[in-house]
Amino acid sequence: MPRIAGIDVPDKKKMYFALQYIHGIGPKFAKEILEKAKVDPDQRSNEVDEAALAQINAVIDAEYLVEGALRRQVQQNIQRLKDIKCYRGDRHRKGLPVRGQRTQSNARTRKGKKKTVAGKKSVKAK
Amino acid sequence: MGRSLKKGPYVDEKLFRKVEKMAQQRKKDPIKTWARRCTIVPEFVGFTFNVHNGKQFLPVLVTEDMVGHKLGEFSNSRTFRGHTNKKEGIDDGAKK
Repeated sequence: MPRIAGIDVPDKKKMYFALQYIHGIGPKFAKEILEKAKVDPDQRSNEVDEAALAQINAVIDAEYLVEGALRRQVQQNIQRLKDIKCYRGDRHRKGLPVRGQRTQSNARTRKGKKKTVAGKKSVKAK
Repeated sequence: MGRSLKKGPYVDEKLFRKVEKMAQQRKKDPIKTWARRCTIVPEFVGFTFNVHNGKQFLPVLVTEDMVGHKLGEFSNSRTFRGHTNKKEGIDDGAKK
């Protein structure tokens, strides 16, 4: 099981797909990294030799933000929005959609599971 | 979708001139403005703007982090008074 960028251990898959198990690396970056490290994208990850792995690690270290560092950066960006108390920061704080989506219905990804309000309809009938 | 780079940031010209004048006179009075759509440029840092939200002018002290945002982002124009209080069954100001 090869170790790339810290703890990640994708196995038995083609390098192109194995790399995508790392947070911050998708199809595009996987392709770029393999090109820069001169590793065959179709090679299985357990067949890649040490030197090539080191090469991949070097490329990622030098040019890409992945895993913890990336998560930290994202968190910092959100924190910045919150700190300057702008509209977007406000939406983050309230756990509502940030980019102007509707909230009368849907928006469940941000709002979480439905909270049923008892007697909501009957209030209207009164 | 962002604004075309070719055009550069939108800055309300009157407001910008006003800031420059204040900077020359080394004054930092709050500037009353309706220009919510105006981008905050580095020259604005340290000034206070009273930004109209449709009803009142809310004071916004511009810090370095705010550069690149619009003035209106810091002057909320909606009031949310909370949802119905279901225990007492009385409306808390929401319609219906």
